[in-house]
Amino acid sequence: MHIPDGYVDLPIALACGALAVAVLALAARRIDGEVSDARAPLVGVVAAGIFAAQMLNWPIPGGTSAHFVGGAFAAIMLGPHLGALAVATVVAIQALVFGDGGLVVLGANVFNMAIVEVYVGYAVYRLLAPYGEFRAAFAGGWLGITAGALTAAVQLGLSSAFAYELVTTVAIMGVGHLVLGLIEGGITAVVYRYLARARPDLRPDVAPEVSA
Amino acid sequence: MDALGRGLAVLLVLTLLAPVFGWAAGQVGYAEPLENAAEATGATDDADPVGDAPLPDYGVPGLGSAAGTFVSAVVGTALTLLIVAGLGRLLGTDDRA
Repeated sequence: MHIPDGYVDLPIALACGALAVAVLALAARRIDGEVSDARAPLVGVVAAGIFAAQMLNWPIPGGTSAHFVGGAFAAIMLGPHLGALAVATVVAIQALVFGDGGLVVLGANVFNMAIVEVYVGYAVYRLLAPYGEFRAAFAGGWLGITAGALTAAVQLGLSSAFAYELVTTVAIMGVGHLVLGLIEGGITAVVYRYLARARPDLRPDVAPEVSA
Repeated sequence: MDALGRGLAVLLVLTLLAPVFGWAAGQVGYAEPLENAAEATGATDDADPVGDAPLPDYGVPGLGSAAGTFVSAVVGTALTLLIVAGLGRLLGTDDRA
């Protein structure tokens, strides 16, 4: 889902970049003062885990492969604003250090994976949480990545390289990630359930254990 | 082991798995829906990287593919850990104050 340079028309890339910067600036203001110093290293570990997990390409017979993106997972574990900043950092490192995703389209990639996937995934999770946290985390991961794939498909489908074939890009990427997203949802739910039991203090809504 | 230590151990396991998964994905042929969409619309040739990444495609120039993937995984994971922990501290509060 990392768009390389040359695929998205410049005005679209710049517009998405500006939007991404604006949302991340708001996110930074919203979390200002909410992370305790004791929690900061653990937040780093969660983000680093997302980077490492993204390197694991799950081979799927039939010639596709997909990897966990972790947008919804970050939002559920860290809260949406900190989650957005964490995934944005991952996406920026992937582009700058490893050439995974272009530099001109970095803003568009951040928008799709660190903003759309994070906030949509979180909204779905919150909406469904009353009916069971495990199911809610699964649906958040599943629909979050599908939403991110759809915004990517729209950016590509409105660009000249893709011959403005919006219907084709939306159909291939939307359906593709709706199916592959089941893996994302499964990993999100299983790892979330494990961590929620093992480390309840990691959760954003829990007071830090050393606050007294 | 405390939470941080356990977290770091999990990260090490993930980085060790990276070359294994890389090999397995290579066996089935790596293709994402994005690449399928590019092929369907004839966009593939328009990919035009701007600038050179220091560790292109999660590999180290001159190093074997498995070793390069492992080094890339360690470097990327460590960078993410340091930057996000630093960001958290920067935006955070000192709750001992």
